[in-house]
Amino acid sequence: MVDLIKRTKELLETSEVKVVIGYEQGSGNKTRALFVEKPEDADKLIFDSRCVQNLAAYVTKKEIKEKGKMAITATLPVMRSIIQLASEFQVNDSNLLVLGITPESKMIEFKNLVEVEAFVHQFQIEIDDRNKEMLDRLEKMTKAERWKFWIDELTPCFKCYACRAACPMCYCSRCTVDVNQPQWIPVSSDELGNLEWHIMRAIHLTGRCIDCDACYNACPLAIPINLLTKKMLVDAKEHFGGYQPSLKGDHLMSTYKPDDKENFIQ
Amino acid sequence: MSKIGVFVCHCGENISATVDCARVAETAGNYDGVAFSVDYKYMCSDPGQNLIKNAIKEQGLTGVVVASCSPRMHEPTFRKACAEAGLNPFMCEMANLREHCSWVHEKGEATTEKAIDLVRILVEKVKYNHSLNEIKVPVTKTALVIGGGIAGIQASLDIANTGHKVILIEKDPSIGGHMSQLSETFPTLDCSQCILTPRMVEVAQHPNITLYTYAELESLEGFIGNFKAKIRRKSKSIDEKLCTGCGLCTTKCPVKKIPSEFNEGLGKRTAIYVPFPQAVPNKPVIDRANCTYYIKGKCKVCEIVCPTGAIRFDQEDQIMEVEIGAIVIATGFTVKQPDFFPEYGYGKFPDVITGLQFERLASASGPTLGEIRRPSDGKIPEKIVFLACAGSRDPAKGIPYCSKICCMYIAKHAMLYQHKVHGGKSYVFYMDIRAGGKQYEEFVRRAIEDDGVNYVRGRVSRIYEKNGKLIVAGVDTLLNAMPVEIDADMVVLATAGVANEGAEELAQKLHVSYDPYKFFAEAHPKLKPVETNTAGIFLAGACQAPRDIPESVAMASGAAVKVAALFSKDELTREPIIAVVNRQAPPVYSSCVGCFLCVSACPYQAIEKEEIKNRNGEVIKSIAKVNPGLCQGCGTCVAFCRTKSIDIQGYTNEQMYTEVMALLNEY
Ligand SMILES: Cc1cc2nc3c(=O)[nH]c(=O)nc-3n(C[C@H](O)[C@H](O)[C@H](O)COP(=O)(O)OP(=O)(O)OC[C@H]3O[C@@H](n4cnc5c(N)ncnc54)[C@H](O)[C@@H]3O)c2cc1C
Ligand code: SF4
Ligand code: SF4
Ligand code: SF4
Ligand code: SF4
Repeated sequence: MVDLIKRTKELLETSEVKVVIGYEQGSGNKTRALFVEKPEDADKLIFDSRCVQNLAAYVTKKEIKEKGKMAITATLPVMRSIIQLASEFQVNDSNLLVLGITPESKMIEFKNLVEVEAFVHQFQIEIDDRNKEMLDRLEKMTKAERWKFWIDELTPCFKCYACRAACPMCYCSRCTVDVNQPQWIPVSSDELGNLEWHIMRAIHLTGRCIDCDACYNACPLAIPINLLTKKMLVDAKEHFGGYQPSLKGDHLMSTYKPDDKENFIQ
Repeated sequence: MSKIGVFVCHCGENISATVDCARVAETAGNYDGVAFSVDYKYMCSDPGQNLIKNAIKEQGLTGVVVASCSPRMHEPTFRKACAEAGLNPFMCEMANLREHCSWVHEKGEATTEKAIDLVRILVEKVKYNHSLNEIKVPVTKTALVIGGGIAGIQASLDIANTGHKVILIEKDPSIGGHMSQLSETFPTLDCSQCILTPRMVEVAQHPNITLYTYAELESLEGFIGNFKAKIRRKSKSIDEKLCTGCGLCTTKCPVKKIPSEFNEGLGKRTAIYVPFPQAVPNKPVIDRANCTYYIKGKCKVCEIVCPTGAIRFDQEDQIMEVEIGAIVIATGFTVKQPDFFPEYGYGKFPDVITGLQFERLASASGPTLGEIRRPSDGKIPEKIVFLACAGSRDPAKGIPYCSKICCMYIAKHAMLYQHKVHGGKSYVFYMDIRAGGKQYEEFVRRAIEDDGVNYVRGRVSRIYEKNGKLIVAGVDTLLNAMPVEIDADMVVLATAGVANEGAEELAQKLHVSYDPYKFFAEAHPKLKPVETNTAGIFLAGACQAPRDIPESVAMASGAAVKVAALFSKDELTREPIIAVVNRQAPPVYSSCVGCFLCVSACPYQAIEKEEIKNRNGEVIKSIAKVNPGLCQGCGTCVAFCRTKSIDIQGYTNEQMYTEVMALLNEY
């Protein structure tokens, strides 16, 4: 990752950006997010196949935004997140520079988000085979079996909200679960409270989730909550012709298009 | 502490026949916060209303629940009663015991229990009600009329005559629309131009009407009473102030072979032209697509001959911004051309013409000066065939509807033919004769009985040429589908009336809905025929569906009254049942995170961005803001907002939650 390190140094030396977000070696065999503010720290940057954390979750954080213009090491899922965030007016060209990493691990610096979007649009969001199989299995279950599956999976959740913190789209300063006037979602982490929290989360992410699995990877109990959002992706394809983050602002769920199939209201 | 009054109505026997009203009142009286509860035969009657008013005054009620009929019936009545007694009208709620309970259930315990539940929900809700004030928005008392056909002309005149200003825009060089092309009009056979031109002149001279021809709507923003429109005034390439309308240029222009739109291609015009002699305004425009100067950079004959120096080759389109309070859409319709019909030769037989072309032939101002002569060789046709329903009522052609005007104008055409060509033979192929309308049936009968037009019931399958004749092959369904073949000299197709090209685009600019055929949609097919779903935008004439002149004019006057009613007040009052994005103290300002998904979700374009700035004018936060003039209170945005930052006043999250919990919790 010589390119990345060299470019980071330049960007910081010329003050073109104030902070570069990337990965560094963590404890054990893990990697973790690194925020480089001084050129000399750039040497700590690494990039390899272990770097799967979605760094886009940081670009909306107040503490980081306050530093000034950011640059971000962005794999394909990170770039997708950034386009979605840009379409929701959370980032723009004046506060974010994207240092893209291609699937072949090459660095490309994008001049602007339009270029990032063009790059992202070369790829469709594809659910991997293992998860496809899981979704198939769920689809084939009877309603009662499926209900039991989810109750069993979700009941252990203790609402640590690690999934929410890891998700780049969960940037709301006030999440619905935190609204207490009225308390739509019960606070307790019991069967009902957990079910409502996760249904709500899946609904809020429909047409926005770019399927990076950050939530699942963050969950200390490895609850497969990403299956819910994956199912929403499949449904989005069926009813609205599929989802691809776009700067146009033609949001999947809030924009009516004449060619929306909407076969669920026939 | 709330002091709520509950007023249970028997609605004569409508409610009390199945619901034990006394028990409902008694049970409600025991709820926390209920200070007064009573049942009565007719709550909406004067004594009923007095019961409410007195209780408000005597008990000092802070909220009222009237348990009676649908709020659609009497909400205004009870709100007004509350207001008269000094209680904010929005502190009054209605439980619908009639439509939601007594009318749909049998008499019995469960029915009364349900009525009690309905009352309890509202008692709990009203505890969270807040006083609300009606919203007042100012009204700009100028109307924009789009389209200068008979409908637009009538609407403009009617509005202008109520004393309000009108801006009329017409995309063509002259107003008049299709009516100016017609020869005579059914059902009275009076000359179209003779009845139309006085109105066209009146428009031009009316002090309250500003007319822009060669102009189109560029964009529209705003809401009822407060629209802002951008109008594109296409360059006419002449200085209208200097031009005296002498017409010298039009006689000298060397480009003389352009098919005349006004004559439906049956006549020719020059590149600098006035579409027809009675045009309003009677000043030429240069058709740049055909002018030699614009094509080759040389000519300028018109400039040389113009005695006042009015030609302006470098004139540019002008974009004008106007503020208006209401809009009447009167952009009319168009007709299908013969090339739409493979079975009738795809338009390759010159003597197969449209009804509109026939109008031009029959018109004294037309290319043949009113003589019926066929386009190919100018001969007077001895045998003529009229085909009704060319395209119309044909689902296979995508036009399942009836174009409505054709039956009548075909009868007119056949009649005119018989009057003009003595000894001529005319045939009409028809599916049904639709002559509903005052004097319409009599008119058709006159064509058949007095003028000897041959009506053949049946469809024509094919037209082909043979020995210089047009063979019209069809069947007579009244004679057991006997094949009929007529060797005609000319065929007139009553081609379907369809929406204008570009109607869809215009509808989108105006944010009004349209039907599957791209005609603009009325708000209610029976009760709101001239309204659109967008407040402040009205419809007149054939842009809503094929219409004849009397209907177009009636619609125009109807739309004008709607505009006049809107302009009769300086301010509009609206119910405050609208969405509001919350505001909080700095540094939070609002729980809104500015994702603006609500902006794309709102069907009424009611949500805007608001920038919160610090003292130095730097933007600290962008958040959503609902425009109270535009919001219709539909609630879409509320469901959409992830941060729960939007509430509908009078139906807040808190109130909805309370209602649900009141139902779920045991009492
Ligand atoms: C062959 C034929 C014969 C007929 N004979 C009779 C008859 O005898 N008696 C009778 O009652 N009816 C008759 N009609 C029906 C009559 O023509 C219509 O009822 C009438 O023209 C409708 O008037 P309108 O103003 O709604 O539309 P139009 O006459 O179509 O006028 C619409 C106007 O709006 C303008 N316009 C369109 N789009 C725009 C835009 N985007 N911006 C600005 N301006 C725009 C057009 O240029 C036009 O001037 C006949 C129709 C046909 C086709
Ligand atoms: S990370 Fe896991 S345990 Fe924590 S809230 Fe999310 S699903 Fe529940
Ligand atoms: S410039 Fe020539 S071609 Fe053009 S309008 Fe004038 S006379 Fe006609
Ligand atoms: S949806 Fe909610 S959070 Fe997003 S802009 Fe609208 S009000 Fe704000
Ligand atoms: S309530 Fe409906 S009309 Fe009003 S702002 Fe929300 S979405 Fe728009």
